[in-house]
Amino acid sequence: MSNIQLCYQCGKCTAICPVRRVVKTSPRSTIYNNTVYRTGSDDIWNCLTCGLCYDGCPQGVDYPEFVKEERDSKEDGDLAHKGVFTLLTDMMTDLEESRTSLDEAGNTDSKIGYYPGCLDFHDMFFNLDVDFRSIADSSMKLLNSIDLDPKLIKMKCCGHDQLWQGDKGTFEKLKDQNTKLIAQSGIEKLVTSCAECYRTLSQDYDLPVEVVHISQLLKDADLGIDSKTTVTYHDSCRLGRHMGEYEAPREALASAGSEVVEMKHNRNDSWCCGVSSMMNCNDRSKALRKARLDEAKDTGAQVLITTCPKCLAHLNCMKDEQESIEQYDYDIKDLTVFLAEQMGGK
Amino acid sequence: MAEFEPNILTFNCNWCSYAGADLAGVSRLQYPTNNRIVRVMCSSRIEPTFILEALKEGADGILVTGCHIGDCHYIEGNVHTDERMKEMMDALEHLGLGGRLRLEWVSAAEGKKFQETITEFVENIRALGPSPLRKGVDD
Repeated sequence: MSNIQLCYQCGKCTAICPVRRVVKTSPRSTIYNNTVYRTGSDDIWNCLTCGLCYDGCPQGVDYPEFVKEERDSKEDGDLAHKGVFTLLTDMMTDLEESRTSLDEAGNTDSKIGYYPGCLDFHDMFFNLDVDFRSIADSSMKLLNSIDLDPKLIKMKCCGHDQLWQGDKGTFEKLKDQNTKLIAQSGIEKLVTSCAECYRTLSQDYDLPVEVVHISQLLKDADLGIDSKTTVTYHDSCRLGRHMGEYEAPREALASAGSEVVEMKHNRNDSWCCGVSSMMNCNDRSKALRKARLDEAKDTGAQVLITTCPKCLAHLNCMKDEQESIEQYDYDIKDLTVFLAEQMGGK
Repeated sequence: MAEFEPNILTFNCNWCSYAGADLAGVSRLQYPTNNRIVRVMCSSRIEPTFILEALKEGADGILVTGCHIGDCHYIEGNVHTDERMKEMMDALEHLGLGGRLRLEWVSAAEGKKFQETITEFVENIRALGPSPLRKGVDD
């Protein structure tokens, strides 16, 4: 249950809301209308659930949780790509055979599992120069190089997007099916390379196994790289504010010899990439993405690193779109892909 | 239990394939009655969600037809269709619905080809069996 009853209407959430900078929306008045007049508001569909308001709230009101509950079983708002991913995962729940399509099996006797998430579907429907599948390949390579020897866990989608789009029924189905698959696989530790999967599997699932994000394993690892690259790190909302993991990716980068420079807004102040759970990819959130790209440009870094495939996709998409009018002299890469590239053929 | 009769959804583009289907009709060419035709202005109008929605609602197979490459009324609409449908076939393969989507170019003069394509596709789907998503759909 969300704790919006604690709200004393100071309006700090509205002041720091990133969406507020581009469109008239107000978390404060949404809460007010809900608690006092019991009326709904369209603002719940504008929310990016990035958690910046929660982080700044003096009362600790969990607005994203409230939005999640409010969205439940209501008609979807503005879904990106006409809801193709939503439909795909919805169909997955009814199809026994459907799994992630990656082939590498890894070490099948391992007690450590690696779950790639829905990377293969990203490759199919985004016409971008980003090879999402290489995130899975790189993750396996990195995990093998630190002698963890994981096996690839073939599950359905984690259901993160369905949960946040208000389709709790589908989420529950996916949760049941995935929990069974994990129990069958006999692993003790589940590694993900996706910030959203990490949040969902550790907070919204009730798993008997330990869930870790790959950056948490790589931070102390000696990969034997000295990359000497200047990089900047974009905190994704799911790994950062939702899960409180700010330092692990930075330490992983630093231990690989990269110099990490910070953007103006970093760690818990980090700005959102503008799209979470495949919703609200429109002119408004594009303005947010542009602002984020400009911040990264100001740091003078050669590579912008992120840990979430959604941030990766949407920032890259915006970069492509802006290329004709503005020059961005850096690459946007996933943490694992960057580190694996630096390792080279080793 | 009655013999399985596939439900086929066919998308025809207005300028070539629909005229092709028309030609098949006026030439009195016989083909199975399992298909329902939806006319669209261009085959590139067909979004991935259309295919998924149709399968979700219980279609056993989906046939997409358009003008031959280079003949598109809108210059290069069918080039986009080609790209998109290949992605779709890949995606359906992963879902366990491989072979239920087919793309074919049928011009206005190819009534015979339309007949043959439909006959062949219906037989293919009959061999594949009912879609796992088909739940008590009445014909």
